[in-house]
Amino acid sequence: MDPRAWKRFRKNKGALFGGVLVAVVTFAAFVGPWVAPHDPALQFTDTLIRGDTGLPAAAFTVTGHPLGGDAIGRDELSRLLHGGAVSMKVAFFATSLAVFVGLLVGVVTGYFRGKFDFLAMRFVDVLLSIPFLIVATAVQMIIDSPSLWSLYLLLGLLSWTTLARVTRAKTMQVSELDFVQAARALGASHGRILAKHILPNVLGPAIVIATTMVSTMIIAESALSFLGLGVRPPAASWGSMLKEGQEFLAHAPRLVIYPGLLIMMTVFGFNLLGEGLRDALDPKDSR
Amino acid sequence: MTVRQPPPVRRTPRNVAFTRALWRHATVGVAAFVFGLWVTGCPKPPDGPRYEGAGADKPTYGGTFRFYVTANVRSLDPQIAFDTLSGTGIHLMFDGLLDYTNEAKLTPVLAASMPEVLEDGHTYRFRLRKGVHFHDSPVFPGGKGRELTADDVKWTLERLLDPKTQSPGAFFFTAIDGAGDRQQGKTKDVRGIKVVDRYTVDITLAELDQTFLNSMAMTFAYPLPHENYEAHPTDVSFHPVGTGPYVFDHWERGVRITLNKNKHYWQPGLPYIDRMVFDENLTPDVAAMRFRNGDYDHGHHFRQPDYIFFSQSDKWRPYMFSEPDVTIWGYFMNCEMPPFDNVHIRRAIAAAIDRERWARIYKGRYMPTGQILPPQLMGYDAKLPHAQKFDLDLAKEEMRLAGFPNGLPDPITVWTQEGESAKAQAELLQADLRKIGIPVDIKPVSFATYLTESGKRGRVPMALSGWNLDFPDPADFLDVLLNSSAIHDVASENRSFYSNPELDRILNAARVEPDEAKRTALYREANDITAHDAPWVFIYNPIEFQVRQPYLRNYTVHPVYKYNYRFVWLDLPRRRLAP
Repeated sequence: MDPRAWKRFRKNKGALFGGVLVAVVTFAAFVGPWVAPHDPALQFTDTLIRGDTGLPAAAFTVTGHPLGGDAIGRDELSRLLHGGAVSMKVAFFATSLAVFVGLLVGVVTGYFRGKFDFLAMRFVDVLLSIPFLIVATAVQMIIDSPSLWSLYLLLGLLSWTTLARVTRAKTMQVSELDFVQAARALGASHGRILAKHILPNVLGPAIVIATTMVSTMIIAESALSFLGLGVRPPAASWGSMLKEGQEFLAHAPRLVIYPGLLIMMTVFGFNLLGEGLRDALDPKDSR
Repeated sequence: MTVRQPPPVRRTPRNVAFTRALWRHATVGVAAFVFGLWVTGCPKPPDGPRYEGAGADKPTYGGTFRFYVTANVRSLDPQIAFDTLSGTGIHLMFDGLLDYTNEAKLTPVLAASMPEVLEDGHTYRFRLRKGVHFHDSPVFPGGKGRELTADDVKWTLERLLDPKTQSPGAFFFTAIDGAGDRQQGKTKDVRGIKVVDRYTVDITLAELDQTFLNSMAMTFAYPLPHENYEAHPTDVSFHPVGTGPYVFDHWERGVRITLNKNKHYWQPGLPYIDRMVFDENLTPDVAAMRFRNGDYDHGHHFRQPDYIFFSQSDKWRPYMFSEPDVTIWGYFMNCEMPPFDNVHIRRAIAAAIDRERWARIYKGRYMPTGQILPPQLMGYDAKLPHAQKFDLDLAKEEMRLAGFPNGLPDPITVWTQEGESAKAQAELLQADLRKIGIPVDIKPVSFATYLTESGKRGRVPMALSGWNLDFPDPADFLDVLLNSSAIHDVASENRSFYSNPELDRILNAARVEPDEAKRTALYREANDITAHDAPWVFIYNPIEFQVRQPYLRNYTVHPVYKYNYRFVWLDLPRRRLAP
C-alpha cells in the first residue's frame, strides 16, 4: 500500500470527520450493551406508560429513564444502545462476508480468466439485475425462523457482486504488469503470485468499497426491519425502532427521530470515510 | 494549420473535493429538513369537526352519505358474504325475515311478526309481510320488481344449502330437517322447508335448536329473487337485487360502491338518504385524516394514535361512540401439542398474564377479562369462580405442578399476525411469561396463513386469536371455539383442539334447552369449565370506537353488525365551522 496514503488521508478534514463519527458509533456499539441502564426488553408499564392516555412517557420526565419510554414502556436509551450494537453487528458481519466472497471471486476470475470467469461474471450480471429488497423479502418470508445469522448470510450473499467486478478488473490490470510477469518467469506458483503480488494491490479499492458497503448494510437492515423482516422481537435494532415509532409520529415524534438521526449519522460517517480512503489510496482517481 | 491545445486539466484539490462531498450531503440533509417543515407546515385538518348540521329537529331528506371500509369488500351476494365489511353493504340493499334491534333483540322485518312455534315444538311458522317488492331491475320481466313471496324464502335457503353455492354460512342452517341431504347433493328440495301459502312458510328442524332464529337473522337467509340468480348465475355479487332501502348502482371493485335510494321501499317515509357512496381499501391513517377533513360522514377503525387524538379532543367528544364490542381476544393453546397438553402449563400461562398492565397501554380500548363469554351474553358472570386472573404465585405453583418449577427448557413458538399492534401484544406476552420462566419465540404470519395453518391438526402450538359474534348467543362462542364437534383435521374452528366430553354434554344440552334460566345456568357452567381448563388464555374484550360528523343523525353503533347505516339522515345544509 502507498505509504503516502495516510498523509493524504490525514490532510483531509471531511474524511477525518467521517472517521471520528465511525469511531464513535463503533465504540458505542461495543460498549452500548454494557453501559445501557436497563434490560432493553423490560417493560416499565407503571412508570413509562402514562396513566391518563396510555402514551409513552416523554424524555426527561421519569427519573432513571433520560430518553423516556417506547410504545410499550421499555427504556428508550437502553434500546437505542442495544439496537446500535445489533445494527453494527449486522453491518460488520454482512460486509465481511460480502468482502470475502467478492475478493475471492474477483481475484480468481481476474487472474485465471477463461470459462469460469465467463460463467461467474454472467452470474454476477444476473444477481445485479434482481432488486435486492424483493429477494431479501422473499427469502426472509420463506425461512421458517429467521434469525440474526440468516440476516448476515442474506445481506452478505446478496452484496458481493460490485466488489467482485471491481477486484476482477483491478486483478486483470495488475496481472499484466511487469513485476507479475517477472514473478511468473521466475517460476513462482499461482498461489504465491496471488498472495504476494496481486492481493496487496487490489486491497485498496476493496477497503474503500467495504467502507461504503457498511453504510449500505445499515440501511438494508433498517429497511428489512422496517418491513418487519429483520431482527426478532423483543430485540431492537435502529430500523425496527424506526418502524415501532412510526405509528406514534404525531404524539411522540422522538421515537422516530432518535433512531433516524443515529442511522443518518452512521451512514454519513461511513460514506465520508469511504470517500476519503478512496482518494487517499488511489490518487490517480481524484477528481 | 493551428494545433489545438489540449484543454487545461482542471485540477481539484482533494480538500475541495471533500468540502464538496460534505456540501452535497449537507444539501440533501437541508432539503429533507425543509421538506419536513413544509409537510408539517401544510394546512392541517381542524382540531374539531369542520362542519355542523343545520339544527333540524325532524329528519331531513336527501343528500349523499359517504363512508369507507379499510379493506376489500369481498362480496355483495348475501348467501356468500361472511365478513363485517360485506355485511355492511348487504344490510343496505337487503332485508331479512328477522333482524336485530339496537338492543340486540330479534325483531321481525320481512316477517309480519315473530314466527310462531307449532305444536310439534320444532317447527317455526313465518308469516310474510304483504306488499313487499324487490328492487326494479332488468332481471325481472318488464324491469319491474315483483312481490316477495314464501317461495323466495324457500328458494333462498335451498340455494344457501346447495353444495354448488359453497356458502360459508350453510353450517348455521344444518338443523333444518333435510338440510344434510341437500348439502350432500342428494335432493334438490329441503323437506323441512314447506310453503304453506303465498305468504306463509314453515321451517321444521330435525331437532330443537335455540339458536336457529338467530341464523334466520343472519344475512345468509336474506331473500334473493331466483330471477337474480338465473340472470347472473356466477356474479350475483355485481348485480344484487333485494328488498332493502337502497338499490345497487355500481361497484368499481376494490375502489367504490354506489347505491341509490329505493323510492318504492315498503316502509313509508324511509329511507332518508338519496345516495350512498362507499369507499374501499382506505388505510386507517388516511381514513382518519379524511374523516377529520370532512370528506366522510362517519369514522371508525382508527389506530391507537388517532384514537388518542379523538378521545382527547373536547370538540369531538359529543360525537364519539365508545361501546364494548362482543368480541374476545386472547391466545389459544393447542391442547394436543406439548407442552400445552399439560393443563397446569395452560393454567400457569392464564395466571401469568397481567391483564391490567395490557389495559394500561391500550387505555380506553381494552377491557380486561378472564372468561370466554363477553359481558353482553347470557352465561357471563363477573364473579365466575374460576375466571382467569393475574396471580404470579398461582402461576408459579402451576408451573411446579406441571413439573417445571424452574420454567420450560425450550421456548414455545407463538404465532401472531403481522403489524405493530400484534407485535406489541406478542411482546407483552413475552414479558409476562418470562416471569414464570417460559421463553417465547414469536412467529409473525399473514392473516390468511394464520387462518389456514391454525385450522390444521398439530400445526400451531399457540397463537393470538380473536372471535367476534355472528349472533348474540353464547353458543356462537362456546360451540364454535371449544365444542369437540368443531374439531377437524383441516379447517378446524376449534383451533385449540380442546376436547372435553363433559363440556360437550353441557353445550349440547344448552343448545336445545327452552327454559332461559336453565339455559343461562348451563352456559355459565360451560364458561367456568373453559376458564378453569384454559384451552385459551382469555385476555380482553375490545371497545368499539367510532366517531360521527355532527350533521350525521340517527346513527348508533349496532351491537351485532357494528355499522348500521340503513336509516341515518343528514342534517342539511351543513354549515362550515372551521376553515
